[in-house]
Amino acid sequence: MPASDSLVWVTAVTVVIWAGIFVYCMGLDRRIRRLEGEE
Amino acid sequence: MAVLAKELTAELRGRVALNAVGLFGLTTLIAVAYQIGPYRIADADRPHLLAALLWIILYFAAASGLPRVFVKEEDARTAKTLRLAARPGAVFTGKFLFNVILLAALEAFLVPLYCALMSYGIAGIGPFTLLLACGAVALAATSTIVAAIISRATGSGTLFAILSVPLVLPLLVFLIQGTRAASASAGLAEVLPALRAVTSLAGVTLVTSAFIFPVVWHE
Amino acid sequence: MTKPRLRTTAQWLLGIWLLVVAIAAFHWAPTARGFKGESSRIVFFHVPQAWVAVLAFCVNLVASLRYLRGRDPLDDARAAAAARLGLVFSVLATITGSLFAHVMWGSFWNWDPREVSIVILLLIYAAYFALREAITDDERRASLAAAYAILAFVTMPFLIFIVPRIYFSLHPDTLINTRGAMDMESRMFQVLMGSLVGFTGLFSWLYTLDVRLAKIRLARRRREEV
Repeated sequence: MPASDSLVWVTAVTVVIWAGIFVYCMGLDRRIRRLEGEE
Repeated sequence: MAVLAKELTAELRGRVALNAVGLFGLTTLIAVAYQIGPYRIADADRPHLLAALLWIILYFAAASGLPRVFVKEEDARTAKTLRLAARPGAVFTGKFLFNVILLAALEAFLVPLYCALMSYGIAGIGPFTLLLACGAVALAATSTIVAAIISRATGSGTLFAILSVPLVLPLLVFLIQGTRAASASAGLAEVLPALRAVTSLAGVTLVTSAFIFPVVWHE
Repeated sequence: MTKPRLRTTAQWLLGIWLLVVAIAAFHWAPTARGFKGESSRIVFFHVPQAWVAVLAFCVNLVASLRYLRGRDPLDDARAAAAARLGLVFSVLATITGSLFAHVMWGSFWNWDPREVSIVILLLIYAAYFALREAITDDERRASLAAAYAILAFVTMPFLIFIVPRIYFSLHPDTLINTRGAMDMESRMFQVLMGSLVGFTGLFSWLYTLDVRLAKIRLARRRREEV
């Protein structure tokens, strides 16, 4: 098994990427909800 | 049938499509044969390369000429009249059959030439001819319906290529595999899987075209 | 619970779910036998991406068929939304597949039938959008795109199902095994399923966002026409 901390690195990067996508989608959702409210 | 007759007479008078397709195919073939020839391919690679090259040449030649059946109607402004005069089913069948005949003529011309120039021996000539025939039908079917779609779009010839490549790739794969099999052995059995695949592809395409062509035509 | 409330809860659930999946993929699931080092872990991302690409294709088909039946512009928006996501996920699937191939066999591309079919799916999506770009009239664009989508959909199965059955495939069979025999260790299987569910949820979310936005745009346009 390669150094287990390299696996930690990969996990960290993956988690950060996912967190970024998640936050972005939440933001989009909020904006769309606001637009829908205006209709 | 009337549509087919009209297409054939128009073509025989002008011979535009035949010339385009024939010339394109011939040019490509000569370029390939001159550069590669029968002796520059290692024996181990021959079956794969020769089968693949044949169908590439045929497809490129077809792509240069088959879309014309619809594009020329739009260009010549005869499309509206045709829409009023004939049922969509008749229009599609006529143009499809015309493309089949065109492709068959192309194959009859190019394939023997290719085999001669590239020293390509075909063990099973019967199965191979069958494969060529089914291939012509399948290729014509896909090309005709895609041609119909792009004729209604503001596009260039590249749109036809972009749309037809993903659809034609599986067909080409089967045809190339089948050609390899026919080249290697004289029996029908080896070519049968490819034949089955090609005919079912052709059938599926034609049935789907019957369903979507009226939509495309009347937009 | 009100609809927005339900939505937010589901979204947070999805967020946590995929977070757990990501961690489990690297720290809880074992690696598969016969694979180089940790490379088998990419499966937890590659397979769901390919699955979503195909799922998007199916959603696109349904929306296209519905459009041809009822000519509702919203169905066309749905089809386009699904296709957009399908394109993204098929690109991702191709990239992850290619990376894996490089680790396992040393080359980025091997012309394995399954590899080719994901590329063809990608080409179909690209062609779909090229067609849409080439038409200016809204209704014509919708109809022709729908027609092409249907045509592409019936042609696809040939490459995915028939070719691999007849000809040898490099694709690891333990993973694409559909016979029910579980060659995978149970932990791997669980994470894979979890990831599949998570990615499907992500697709559903992104898709719904796109469609909601399209609904707003259509409503605005209708009001402007009045």
